Amino acid sequence: MSFPLRPLNSAQLVLASVEKVWKGIALGFGATLLASAANAGNGATDEVPSGGKFALHCDKALLCELDGEQTLDHAVLLVNDGRIEAIGRSSELSVPAEYKQLDVGSSWIMPGLIDLHSHVGGLRGYNDMVFQVNPGLRVSTTARPGNRNLVRPLAAGITTILFIPGSGTNIGGQGVLMKTIDGGFEDVLVRDPGSLKVAQGDNPKRWGYGMQRTLMNHHIRYSLRQGKAYAQRWEAFERGEGAEAPERHINLDVYRDLNAQKISISTHTQYFQVVLATLRILRMEFGFPVFIDHGSFDSWLLGGIAEEIGVPAILGPREVMWPTSPTRFPQDGRAEGSAWGFQKMGVKLIGFNTDAPVIPQEELPLQSAMGVRYGFDNSDMAAVRGVTIVPAVVCGQGEKIGSLEVGKEADLVVLTGDPSDPRTSVQLVFVDGELAYNAEDSEVRSW
Amino acid sequence: MKQIQNCKSLAIGLTALFALTLPVQASASFEDDKDKDKKEDEVEPVAEKDKDQYFLVHNADIYTGTGTVLRSASLLSKNGKIVKIGYDIEAPGRDYFKGIPEAEREFRLRSLDAQGMRVYPGIVAINSSGLPGTNGDFRDSVDPFSENMVLGLSTGITTTGVGRSAVKLKRYVSYEEPLPYDFDGIVLSDKTYASLSWTTSSSRRDAREKMSAARDYLNAYRTWQEEVKKDKELAEPEKKGVDSTYLEVLTGETYARFRAADRASLLGIARFAQEFGFRPIIIGCREGWIVADELGRAGAMAIVTARERRDKDERLSAEGGSSIENAAILTKAGVQVAIIPGSNGVDLGGIAGQDIMHLPVEVGFAIRGGLSEELAMASISTVPARMMGISDRVGTLEVGKDCDLIVTDGDLLHYQTFVQYTVVDGQLVYDKEEELYFAHIRPRPEKEIAPEEALDAGENPPETKKVEEEEEEDEEGDDEDKPKDKEEGDDDK
Repeated sequence: MSFPLRPLNSAQLVLASVEKVWKGIALGFGATLLASAANAGNGATDEVPSGGKFALHCDKALLCELDGEQTLDHAVLLVNDGRIEAIGRSSELSVPAEYKQLDVGSSWIMPGLIDLHSHVGGLRGYNDMVFQVNPGLRVSTTARPGNRNLVRPLAAGITTILFIPGSGTNIGGQGVLMKTIDGGFEDVLVRDPGSLKVAQGDNPKRWGYGMQRTLMNHHIRYSLRQGKAYAQRWEAFERGEGAEAPERHINLDVYRDLNAQKISISTHTQYFQVVLATLRILRMEFGFPVFIDHGSFDSWLLGGIAEEIGVPAILGPREVMWPTSPTRFPQDGRAEGSAWGFQKMGVKLIGFNTDAPVIPQEELPLQSAMGVRYGFDNSDMAAVRGVTIVPAVVCGQGEKIGSLEVGKEADLVVLTGDPSDPRTSVQLVFVDGELAYNAEDSEVRSW
Repeated sequence: MKQIQNCKSLAIGLTALFALTLPVQASASFEDDKDKDKKEDEVEPVAEKDKDQYFLVHNADIYTGTGTVLRSASLLSKNGKIVKIGYDIEAPGRDYFKGIPEAEREFRLRSLDAQGMRVYPGIVAINSSGLPGTNGDFRDSVDPFSENMVLGLSTGITTTGVGRSAVKLKRYVSYEEPLPYDFDGIVLSDKTYASLSWTTSSSRRDAREKMSAARDYLNAYRTWQEEVKKDKELAEPEKKGVDSTYLEVLTGETYARFRAADRASLLGIARFAQEFGFRPIIIGCREGWIVADELGRAGAMAIVTARERRDKDERLSAEGGSSIENAAILTKAGVQVAIIPGSNGVDLGGIAGQDIMHLPVEVGFAIRGGLSEELAMASISTVPARMMGISDRVGTLEVGKDCDLIVTDGDLLHYQTFVQYTVVDGQLVYDKEEELYFAHIRPRPEKEIAPEEALDAGENPPETKKVEEEEEEDEEGDDEDKPKDKEEGDDDK
């Protein structure tokens, strides 16, 4: 296909002039960065490193560890071959000569953000609704790395998502944990299956003739019982009990991973009655690893039980319950934040999700901000941990991503301040030590 | 109005002659200086003072919206208008209220200790849906008890555009307040804009034809105005067929508002406006960042949603789509920008951060795109006030303007900040601790509105120093409608 050559129209001429102006501004900004780097006197240049060995100097590093100190001032972070090699104070940690160095000045560095409830890993085709339960379906077959719905999220510092099937059926299939960078499927793959998606909320009611809770939970239980028995048969065979291998059911294979605690059920469950069914059926009855995904409304009232039986809470896209329909949510008129409630009930692992595209993927940090606005105590940086280390631990990747700790994958975000604050802008994003986003690459940022 | 006031003071004078025996020693220190000079020897009778209502907020960091921040300062309003901003301001003392029952004094004077808090001008939402109660014409649909109104005030919104009107969120705090609703002070304008369409080729042709007709009439009328001085018999030009809305736009009575997003439409509107010599307001303005200079030259103003998202059409080589930098780039080119969220009503569905109750969040995203904090504040106060032609009354905290203010527990643009108090026309209409919605979230430490405190202080009223800051404010007030700085108003380049 070829495009005919045409003279520039006025709009294009305008564009050319706008371009010039912005190049000028970009150059000015670059020069400022250079000046600040030179002032630091630590051998850093203004060249943004990518891959290999490099060191980043910053005013503040948000460590985002599950416990302990949360920040490190005047920090330097060494990256070697895609992993965090060392982190410490600039004055205490010396940088070997062969490392490229970048001083990001007053900016902060934090680990890449993680969203455990996302539908934008592919463009469409992740919500098959032919059967009511589909434990064998894999959303990874529809994944499209670097698709246009992942461009802004990457520019917002979101580096890992759990791309899960839609909630049109009770068991939508298997999610996939993937990074948000462009590349081949293997390049972005973190783990497949990332989770088994179960939906107990209202969306699956749209299936078929219109189901109610009893039939939905009946079908979930039915599939889980089949799967549990199947997994147990295989486990018995692997222990050497019985000479013949059980017959293979690809529709039930995912339950072997679940029974072996290798993956979790990510549950689309939102208010009290539904979350109660989640806790009772998925966790207490079958003993599978489960986390509340999409937790909202008055589900926090079950926080005490959830904590007791080890079910973490990932909350969103509705971070607050308003006193609107008293028949459904009998409350006394208070605006109650979901995160506030779960925290009050003593839940340790509280994270945030977007349900993108319900909330745009790039607004994950705002979800945590809204949690704080509506009462979530952020004095120990719980909001930032709720979009980094907490989801990492919840999806079983706590040893690999989610915090700035030695040995972890170098998914790093350089930004101008508090990540939850909408005013903060992201300057650089590294994934596995490779530069994945640089705000200065484009004259005008989309996000 | 001035005449009425003169009559009033005459009446006061006459009454005073017969009322000298009243046991009142009015301390005049709290009144504005002009009044003080005028009736130096007068003793104001209770009957007149009785109607005066004062509101004092003190110990606050006052962000006036004019570029000035006064630390630990005070603001005093009288009958809904700001009379003083600065330091060492005293509210009326106890003596002043002699003869007025204790229970009533609270309504005459409210004194608010806002230590550690900030005071901002009330937010002006250029557009909103349902805040006065229900949708539709304001006078027909306002519900002064509505939840939406309370939630609007809890956001800090004190003035909003409703249809073509600019109205205040005037809430009934108690059911005992008098009906009917007093619209006079509440509807600031009924002609904030004229809606023009630029979406289809026929609507563009229509706009152009009507504008031409209006211009021709206006030219003919002005010529006639001159000629008729010489020839008294000369007939006035025919107004028939001329759309009065377009006349209002050309005479500057109101602003023309267009809804447009794409580059081509924006350029078209800019050319159209320049040709006919009016300043257009463009709602949406998604690709404004691409043609910002053209819009700036045309004196355009824009109402934008900072988070508007549209991917560039990759098949086209030209720039396109949305940018988080839109508001920032537009203001740099001299386009005044007001900001509204993507959803302009109150959303109680629980998806927080997208609706009118999170207007400051939307503004935060404009800052993310490079807008300065100061211009960001202007985008929800002075700029929308100017766009609606009501900046003589609201948008900043200045002496003489309406006392519409909010008291916050921190930086208004921070996601954790709550509005603690909202004041409209010098009356406290929202107190976070008094409503169920947010009182339980980071409750305010015990420090309540204490009218008694101020009254006690008045037993021996301290000498009031002359407030120098006040004059400063006045000076700034004079050029309110002029651009404050180059970035904001440089639209003639």
